[in-house]
Amino acid sequence: MKLLDMHKVESPGTPERQRNWWVYAVLLAVCFINFVPYLYIILTAFMDRATATSGVPQWFFTPTLDAFEHLITEKRILSNLWNSTVVSVCSTFFSMLIGVFAAYALARYDFTGRDDIAFWVLTNRMMPPVAVLIPIFITFQTLDLLDTKVGLIILYTAMQLPFVVWMLTGYFREVPRRYEESAMVDGDTWFGAFRKVTLPLMAPSITATAIFVMILSWNEFAFALYLTSVDAKTLPPSLIAYAVGVNVQWDLLGAACVFATAPIILFVLLVQRQFISGLSQGVVK
Amino acid sequence: MIVAEVVAHQLLKRFGAVTAVNAIDLSIGDGEFVFLLGPSGCGKTTTLRMIAGLEMPTSGKITIGGRNVTFLRARYRNVGMVFQDYGLYRHMTVFGNIAYPLKVRRMSRAEIRRRVGEVAATLRIADILDQRPDDLAGGQLQRVAIARMLVRDADVFLMDEPMSHLDAQLRGHMRAELRHLQKQLGVTTVFVTHDQLEAMTMADRIIVMRSGNLHQYGTPQEVFERPDDQFVATFVGEPQMNILSCTIEEDGGEPAACGPGFRAPLDRAWLGQCQRAARNHPLRLGIRPEHVSLRETPDDEHTIPAELIAFEATGTENLFIVKCGEAEITACMPRHASARFARSEGSRYFLRFDPAWLYLFDGESGWTLAHAVGSRSASVREPRA
Repeated sequence: MKLLDMHKVESPGTPERQRNWWVYAVLLAVCFINFVPYLYIILTAFMDRATATSGVPQWFFTPTLDAFEHLITEKRILSNLWNSTVVSVCSTFFSMLIGVFAAYALARYDFTGRDDIAFWVLTNRMMPPVAVLIPIFITFQTLDLLDTKVGLIILYTAMQLPFVVWMLTGYFREVPRRYEESAMVDGDTWFGAFRKVTLPLMAPSITATAIFVMILSWNEFAFALYLTSVDAKTLPPSLIAYAVGVNVQWDLLGAACVFATAPIILFVLLVQRQFISGLSQGVVK
Repeated sequence: MIVAEVVAHQLLKRFGAVTAVNAIDLSIGDGEFVFLLGPSGCGKTTTLRMIAGLEMPTSGKITIGGRNVTFLRARYRNVGMVFQDYGLYRHMTVFGNIAYPLKVRRMSRAEIRRRVGEVAATLRIADILDQRPDDLAGGQLQRVAIARMLVRDADVFLMDEPMSHLDAQLRGHMRAELRHLQKQLGVTTVFVTHDQLEAMTMADRIIVMRSGNLHQYGTPQEVFERPDDQFVATFVGEPQMNILSCTIEEDGGEPAACGPGFRAPLDRAWLGQCQRAARNHPLRLGIRPEHVSLRETPDDEHTIPAELIAFEATGTENLFIVKCGEAEITACMPRHASARFARSEGSRYFLRFDPAWLYLFDGESGWTLAHAVGSRSASVREPRA
C-alpha cells in the first residue's frame, strides 16, 4: 500500500479475545527439558549401585536410601552441609549488614566522587574470580585462614557486597526522603527514622536481595574448592569427589546433588513470594 | 504551649552556586497563619525546611518563641509538619501513623490511644484508624497527615503545599476547614503554596517570594490592593493584572498615560504621589481585568479601541481578551452586563480604564510608583520608590 493511501484505512473491528495456547505449549516444553535431567538425578539418588550404574536408564525401581546412608556415615557429608549453611548464612548476614548502610550512604548523601565510588563498587563484580585466586590463596595462607569457615565467610562477604550495594542503592533511591524527614520532624533521631520507617519500607527489597546473596554464596564453587580441604569444605566442592574418576558412582553423585540442591530449592520455594515481589514491585507505589 | 513567634533574621541558603534564599527577614506572630507564596523555585519550600530543621541555613538566624534554633536538628524544635505528598508511612495503619510522634516521645499506651482518638474525632477520621494509607482517598490521606501534625503539642505547624494533590472541590472544602481549625487551635502556622487563591483566602499575612527574595509581606488585602512591585501585582489575582508599557504625557493640563494604541486619562492628585514618574521615563501601567470595562460603541469614557482575540466564559463572568496596540488586555465583565456582546474574533471594542484603580510601576526596577486611589488598606504604606 502506498503511503498516500494510508488515510483510507479504517480500524478493524473489536478484536476477539486471544487464546495463546501455544505459549503454554512452549512453556511446558521448556519445563520438561529443564526438569527431566534434574528429576533423573534425584531418582538416581534413590537407586541401588547396580541400577544406578547400569547402561540402560530405568524409571521404575525399588527405592533405597543406601547412597544417603553411605554419604552420611562414610563420607561425613553432613559436615559439608553444616559448613555450607554456616558460611552462606553468615556471609549473607554480614554482607547485608554492611551493604545496607553503604547503599544508604550512596543513595542519600551527595559527596564528591559518589558516582565514581558507585561505579567502582560495580566493577568489583565484573572481575573474573580466577584472576585473584592465587593472590587470595597466598593471603589466606599468610593469615592462616586456609580451610577455615571464618576465611570463607570473610571472602564471601566481600564478594557479595558489590552486588548488595548495587541492588540496594537503587531501592533506597526509590524511598523518598520525606519519610525520614517526617519522622525526624515528629521527634525521632536519624537512626530511629531509619529503623522504624525506611527499613520496614525496604523490607521486601532487602529480603529479595538477601535471598539472592544466599543462593550465590551457597552455590559458590571455585574459591571453596581451592581454599578449603577438609574442615571447612562446603557442598559444591565436595561433589567433585563423586564426579571424577574412572567409575563414577552415580547413586552417590545423585545423593550428593540432592544434598547440595535440596536445601536451597526448599528455601526458595518457601520464600518465592517475597523474592518475586521484592524484585519486581517498587518500594513505594 | 509557648508563645511561638517565628523570627528569621538575614536567612541565607546557598546550594553550591545557587542562592535559594537570599538573606530574608521575617517575623511571624504567635498564632498567626502566614503563607509563603511564590512560583516554583522561589525558595519558599527551602525557607520552610529551614524553619523545620530539615535544611540548615548557610547563614542567618531563626528563633522560635525567642529560642535560637538556627542549627538545631528537627527533633529539638517541636514543630509539626505536613508534607506535599503527606509522607505517611505505608507500612503502618492510620492509627500507627498518627501515634508515631507520641511513641517517639514514649507516652503510655493509654495516653496515646486517648490523644489519637481525640484528634481523629476532630478530623472525622475515627472510622479509618485501622486502615492503611494505600487504601485511603486523597482527602482522607490529607486528614491523616494533618492529624499526625496536630496530635502532639507542637509550637509551630508547617505545611508544604498540603493541598496540591486534592481535586478542586475538596480543596475548596479543606481551605475553609483548615482556616477554621487553625483559628480554633491558635497555633502559629506557616503554609507554603504556589496557589495565590489559597493564600488569599486563608492567610492572616502573606509573604510573596521570587527567586529567593522576599517581595512583600502583608495581609491578603494589602498584597492584593497595594502590591509593592509589579511581580506581586501580577502574581496575586486571577486573572492576572494587565501591564502596559507607557509614558506620562500632559497636554492641555490633563495628564494621561500613553502607550502604543491607547491613551488613558489619569488623576492629577494620584500622579502627585510619585515625582519620579517623570515625563519620558519608561513606566508601566497596571490595571486589573475587573477594572477594565468595555463597550461595543465608543462613548466619552470608553475611548480606547481594541480588537477581540479570545473570549472565555467562566460562568459568573465573561473574560474578553483584546488586542490594543501591541498589548493584550484582559477585561473581566459580569455576565449580565456583557451577555449580548459580540464574541467573534476580530470584533471591535472600546475600553475604559477605571482611573481609581490604576497602578504605576517603574519600567526598570518594577517597584510600585503609585497605588490605586481606590485601595484603602488599613495600614497604608507609601510605595518604596
